[in-house]
Amino acid sequence: MKTIIERYQRPSTLEEALAAKQADPGAAWLAGGTFLLAGDFRDKPASVLDVTRVLPRTITLSAGVLTLGAGATFQDLADAPVLPQPFKTAALGMNNRNTRNRATLGGNLGANKSCGSFLPLLLVLDAELETSSGRFPVAEWLAKPTGLVLNAIVKMDPARGTAYGRWARTSCDLAVLNAAASLTLNNGRIAGLRIALGGLGPHARRFPELEKLFEGQALPAKEAIESAVAPLLSPIDDLRASAAFKRLRAAALVADALHAATQEASK
Amino acid sequence: MKTTFKLNGRLVTWDCEPSESFRDALRRKGVISVRNGCDGEGSCGLCSVILDRKLVNSCQLLAVQVDGSEVVTVEHFSKDRTLSIVQRALVDAACVQCGYCIPSVVLAIEELLARNPDPNRAAITDALAGTLCRCTGYEQFYNAVRIAAKRLSDPAYTESMAPEFAPQLRHVGKDREKIDANYLVRGERAFVEDRVDANACHLLLLGSPYAHAWIKSIDTSDALAMPGVVAILTHENCPDKVYTTAGQGYPEPSPYDQRMFPRKVRHVGDRVAAVLAESLEEAQAALEAIKVEYEVLKPVLSITEAKAPGAPVVHGGPVSYVIGEPPAGTSVKGDEREEPIIYQFPLHSDPHRNLAASVADGIGDLDKGFAEADVVIERKYTCNRVQCTPMEPHVVYAKVDGGRLILHASTQVPWHVRRIVSRAIGIPELKVRVIKERVGGGFGAKQDIVLEDVAGYLAWTTGKPVLYRYNRAEEFRVSRTRHGMEVTVKLGAKRDGTLTGILMKVDADTGPYGQHCLTVPMNAVSKSLPLLLCDNARFEVKTYYTNLSPAGAYQGYGAPKGSFGLQTALAELAAELGMDQLELIEKNRVRSGSRIEILRSLGEGRPGAAVTLGECGLGEMIDRGKKAFRWSEPKPAADHPDWKIGRGGVIIQQGSGLPGLDSANAAVRLLSDGTVLVLSGGADLGTGLDTITAKAAAEILGLDMEDVSVISGDTDITPFDTGAYASSGTYFSGNAAVKAAENLRDKILAAAATVLGEDVSELCIAHRGRVVGRTGEVTLAKLAHMATQGEGHADLIGIGGFKTDHAAFPYGAHFAEVAVNVRTGDVKVRRFHAYQDCGTPINPALAKGQIFGACLKALGHSLYEEMLYDAEGRLLNANFLDYKIPSTHEVPDDFHVELVPVADEVGPFGGKSVSEIAVNGAAPAVAIAIHDAVGAWVREWPFTPERILKAMGKL
Repeated sequence: MKTIIERYQRPSTLEEALAAKQADPGAAWLAGGTFLLAGDFRDKPASVLDVTRVLPRTITLSAGVLTLGAGATFQDLADAPVLPQPFKTAALGMNNRNTRNRATLGGNLGANKSCGSFLPLLLVLDAELETSSGRFPVAEWLAKPTGLVLNAIVKMDPARGTAYGRWARTSCDLAVLNAAASLTLNNGRIAGLRIALGGLGPHARRFPELEKLFEGQALPAKEAIESAVAPLLSPIDDLRASAAFKRLRAAALVADALHAATQEASK
Repeated sequence: MKTTFKLNGRLVTWDCEPSESFRDALRRKGVISVRNGCDGEGSCGLCSVILDRKLVNSCQLLAVQVDGSEVVTVEHFSKDRTLSIVQRALVDAACVQCGYCIPSVVLAIEELLARNPDPNRAAITDALAGTLCRCTGYEQFYNAVRIAAKRLSDPAYTESMAPEFAPQLRHVGKDREKIDANYLVRGERAFVEDRVDANACHLLLLGSPYAHAWIKSIDTSDALAMPGVVAILTHENCPDKVYTTAGQGYPEPSPYDQRMFPRKVRHVGDRVAAVLAESLEEAQAALEAIKVEYEVLKPVLSITEAKAPGAPVVHGGPVSYVIGEPPAGTSVKGDEREEPIIYQFPLHSDPHRNLAASVADGIGDLDKGFAEADVVIERKYTCNRVQCTPMEPHVVYAKVDGGRLILHASTQVPWHVRRIVSRAIGIPELKVRVIKERVGGGFGAKQDIVLEDVAGYLAWTTGKPVLYRYNRAEEFRVSRTRHGMEVTVKLGAKRDGTLTGILMKVDADTGPYGQHCLTVPMNAVSKSLPLLLCDNARFEVKTYYTNLSPAGAYQGYGAPKGSFGLQTALAELAAELGMDQLELIEKNRVRSGSRIEILRSLGEGRPGAAVTLGECGLGEMIDRGKKAFRWSEPKPAADHPDWKIGRGGVIIQQGSGLPGLDSANAAVRLLSDGTVLVLSGGADLGTGLDTITAKAAAEILGLDMEDVSVISGDTDITPFDTGAYASSGTYFSGNAAVKAAENLRDKILAAAATVLGEDVSELCIAHRGRVVGRTGEVTLAKLAHMATQGEGHADLIGIGGFKTDHAAFPYGAHFAEVAVNVRTGDVKVRRFHAYQDCGTPINPALAKGQIFGACLKALGHSLYEEMLYDAEGRLLNANFLDYKIPSTHEVPDDFHVELVPVADEVGPFGGKSVSEIAVNGAAPAVAIAIHDAVGAWVREWPFTPERILKAMGKL
């Protein structure tokens, strides 16, 4: 028989939440539930701590610092007037509105899926996560999640151009591949390039091997980017696409993101 | 735990387990408008509620989480059984088809208009993106939102949803409200799951983990002793007889090769055991306690494997024939441990070589035809398996009442269900009543008896009420899918495009059992080849057993695959000849007065006959499509260099029921207030058939639509009908209603003649509900009342039956314009136009809705949908996260349906079939358009970006 939720707690303050977690370390954090509660026949955690009333949900841009509450839903993010376009694109990439109304930024981080909607973007923007256990660079936290994420904090560099893209089989599909690039231009040459991809391993990550290819270069044509990038990617075959196709498609995402980011940086 | 929240404005406190989803709690508490189509994966949206003003899926919400919230369900909008502006707009825009998803659509639009009172197309797409609907193609939802938005400020706003036809008639050819739309849009009790009593027991099936295996032993002793378990059924204690699950006319052109529980399992998910228990949890626990030992056999997982010499044999049992002799050279002696295979008549089969059925025939001299050709091409097209995915999975509620077995069924074929279940159980038909409830999508899958036999048997033998509902994974694995097919087309033509020879070879995969094994693949030929005039034509159809999921009927039957092969091959030939593809079609297509000789060899289960076509609207339809797509002008430019534009146009056809095989009947009763009740054998699957039968009665009896009610598909109450399949609904069941209404009219006139003292020839029916003579008149109400008072005449009941040998072909021309990304292989369908001749459109906006739905389904098959199996025959994508059906985002930007009627002389008011044909065009039209865009032929569907890049040589 599958395991079911036997214990449900909804703390009303962060302190209560942390105390409850300490008393019941096996309990799972529950926010929007679109991952944790998905699937009638899947095992569920025996104990859950509903933190929807505890997590910050505000989205602010102040003195160049973007603060995204972990409790913000994808729809909150899509609707937030201060949010830069690549984040909106990532939020709206979750095409299913019903899901956008529940799924949260914190849940996206906590699930840490290979194609998590916001992960490549947070990685290329060097975001930091403010958690109940302290503040961590996002890459470090994703590698070893610890504590409850409260906010994602992004220092927005006005010189930086950033872009995000995804590929899925249909609009309402989960992403099979996603990619983000962020860069500045130095006399027309790419500088400070960061590239992150999802769908090419168990977790989204930065790809320094790709960043090296273009750092200090003038922006190559898309075809040139694709043929340089593709051989360095090692996706796996699965039922959604073959490795060969994913390699090509991810390279195209990188080319598109590099071009869009360059255009953004040159504005 | 207690959870207190506001439900539709009222504060409620419910006691819920922490594990209970809000969806389950709502249904448990009687909020039945909240439905379940994806088992909590969050992809279908049928369990939507508005939670604190946001549309969310209640399946991914714990009931205890809503504490302190405000929740709105569709019941909120149906106070006093009136309709909200949004509900009214959905009904007016003809958006309610099966109605299973419609409560969620109401909520999505209510939520949208609350935050955006004047939404554009993109906002509507977004608002409805989380709700899957397989019937409508979504296009008319945009009309409904526009109407609702306008009525917010101008309540009297109306607009026409479709042109009107048949000016001489009052109701036919005009849009009238679909007669079940009002209660469906309010989410009222309508479906099988809404009929279940609180004491119902639950049935679960243990499916085989192997594609091919002997069951060496089954030990159910522990499971039987578990709490709540009522009965367990296996091959050891089930009835020992074989049958076919195909709901086809008896005797069926499908072998009897399926036992209720087989000794040898033949596909992953094949029946091993069934557990009946008092609760679902107890049934599940007992299921897990059944111990089974298997002897695993090598499976047959493709057509190529099935026909290979020395292939494993899927059906090795003894073969026999009720009528006729085994084909020469085939073996009949078999392994007695296996189930026997009984053919009702020969189907050119050889089951011990995995050949379930075959047929080959033709006209003219093909060798001569190819010898005369200037150009000959041969191409092979591969069509993978697709699943019907009705949003309501298969479900039945069986119980014993009054010493009889009552089946509340979601079926297309109530009478076939009664026949097959009564024989499977071993009781006479008089002991079985099948009540077809509203069907939440059928699409062919519900033409088969896939769970009614087990549920019926267990209800009958235990006396307990039995609920059996497939979950989504079972629906994918073990309901019915369209046969996989390989279609090889060889064409020969003169330089000027005149076809000199056509050879179509169809190899099909029926899976482990032979339901529809002859007719679906043969339909690939019979609904595509007669579109072309060629003196030399031949077809060869072979259907093989494999150990993949069972195949069966799916809207279009085999036609979409044959159409894909033949129409695409024709375009490939045009490219070889350097001709415009539509010019080549024009050169060879059927037209008014054509003699279609090939139909001599294409009888479906009986001898065929050549047909001389009456009027044919294909020319007009092609012309309209060419004009809309500016065919003679250069293609529109793409807005980005990565994207290339292409377009394609095809011609399609279907039938209107099965002449000489189908039969439909209806009765019409005049009630004592002058209103009428239509008792129709027809099975409305959400298609609007009941509305058509109501219209027939209203039209003929001079009544308004509100004067007519319909009961349909109840084997105790309504007369016989073969069922809703093969595009028979309008043509057969509709015509039966016409005949019954005419019969009642004649009886009314005879009665009125006596009352008025005038000759019948002087009388006519007049609107509304009157008989008018030369000197006097009498109301239908008066005549009906007299029958209850012992005055003069008996109860006025009309009966009518319809059968015909006349074949009525609906025709169509479908056009697609696509953009293909040359770097990524992504395809966007920019435009899709369907021009169709359904004869007189009985209800034009509903007819259009049927066509929109079929077209989008076909676009889904062409671009996204494909059942994928691993090397052991396990289905890998048995859910909506992995098997992608279109959402609102996949609707073409310019999606257009136009009715180009050519009245049929036999059809009801000149009507023909409308819906099924519309799945035949998308695959070839899109394939041709992709070639037009990027110069590559994609010959395997779905046309995924990966296959397109491969065809372009980029991968």
